[in-house]
Amino acid sequence: MLKEILLKNRTSIIKGKGLGSLYNRPLQPDWLNCTLHKRLQSTRSISRDSPEGIVSKSHLKEPDQSIPTNAAVKQAAKLNPLAHSKYESKQYQLPKWKEALGEFVISKFNLDMDKIRAGPVAGSYFYNICKEQGLQFEDEPLSNSAKFFYEDLNLPRTFSQWFQITILHEWMLFVRMRAMPFKYGRNYQQKLVDRTFADIELRLFEEMKVNSGRIVDQYLKDFNSQLRGAVFAYDEGFFTDDATLATALWRNLFAGRKDIDMVHLEAMVRYVRSQLYVLNQLSDREFATGKFKFVPINETVEILTSNEEAVMKEKVIQHYENLDKNPNILPSERSKLSYTN
Amino acid sequence: MSKSQAVKDGAKQIIKILQEFPEDRIKHLASFKDIQTKRFQQIAGANVNNSNDNSIKNSKNPSVEDIKNLISSNPTSLALQKDLIKKMKNALQKDHFDEQSIQEQINSMNNLVSNKYKNYYKLGDKLYKPAGNPTYYQRIMDELQGKKKETLLSAARTVIFGK
Repeated sequence: MLKEILLKNRTSIIKGKGLGSLYNRPLQPDWLNCTLHKRLQSTRSISRDSPEGIVSKSHLKEPDQSIPTNAAVKQAAKLNPLAHSKYESKQYQLPKWKEALGEFVISKFNLDMDKIRAGPVAGSYFYNICKEQGLQFEDEPLSNSAKFFYEDLNLPRTFSQWFQITILHEWMLFVRMRAMPFKYGRNYQQKLVDRTFADIELRLFEEMKVNSGRIVDQYLKDFNSQLRGAVFAYDEGFFTDDATLATALWRNLFAGRKDIDMVHLEAMVRYVRSQLYVLNQLSDREFATGKFKFVPINETVEILTSNEEAVMKEKVIQHYENLDKNPNILPSERSKLSYTN
Repeated sequence: MSKSQAVKDGAKQIIKILQEFPEDRIKHLASFKDIQTKRFQQIAGANVNNSNDNSIKNSKNPSVEDIKNLISSNPTSLALQKDLIKKMKNALQKDHFDEQSIQEQINSMNNLVSNKYKNYYKLGDKLYKPAGNPTYYQRIMDELQGKKKETLLSAARTVIFGK
């Protein structure tokens, strides 16, 4: 019951107050509304190429592929793309009485919404944006980001490659979650990982048509150790230098292929660093309420001047100050997370 | 001739840049530095001094490289069926570098070694010393460099409390 309200609240929190719904229309988070968005397409930078642009300029011909790289994932008929829960569907409207009861419970028992919100934001929304980056099915056309990974970078169209792309994006979110207060950041990480493995288990049974539970368990254990290895390697690369990050990407995302095109590696390093730069600009409050999406592969992130940064921060502070002062704010919309950092 | 010479020089340059790549701090299944050095040594030509290569060359048995060269240069001498030879040729990974593409490889590697993107997309202590766990990255680095080993107690604390 409470879960229903909370899942519902995830959308109403954002939709009701005009911040842009996460699901029902194109997301326009604060960082996009502010000056950063203008900078995205502006001209001042080291090079104006997006990761996709860098890759498209490479003249290295791919060597003949002797190993078949297509083990495409078959789409299970009429499968709900994200989940089997009706509360995550775009069309679902929570009945008013359920919503009111939920708000009553939250205010009466003084529940910590920051903790509760981890489920719908990290477990559902964040997992979805990570998942869709490399999602591919045999009979369906590829999305733009999937085209970049499978066609431009020439990665094999397999389930485990999808997993590698997904955990790369999840790791970027982990980096930001660590910077939240420990209690909350840890919870967000936990929810994201839990959801990932719950979903993989379902996909292995339903889409990959694995019949044996024992084999699925083996796969899950293997994916778990891949996740640990990748997070460790990316952490090391993130903290040290670009060369270490590039080797970490080569070992994990590119599966250690010998005939790697260095231009592809450079593009991926730029991609990762630019996403982290955007994540760094977000305050805890914005991030925790899910106002983030990955910068598309064909856009360039340019750095903000200190002046622009100050203007952007001020706008965010003003926005949340007004929100907190509003006496009509719903109990489920309250948050104690900082919006100034 | 000049074209292939340019590619060879480029490959030698790449090997030099690869030397600047940091050594793996722990042993992985595959080392980027070693594997790529070998790859570009083949492109640069056998005359690049490498103790490993020489030892293989001096031994009586043919090395894997010798067999690969034989397949690609004179396949008919093996007296195998045509489709089998074709399969084997496809299985051998070949790099098709020309002047332009090898220069792109060099530029990209220089960008990586010079830390271009880490310096451009500068992050503050907000992410490097995250509020939830300020010593997280430092502890990983200390462990990797052997400066400060985790004890059984500190490891147990991490598992139980998460930091």
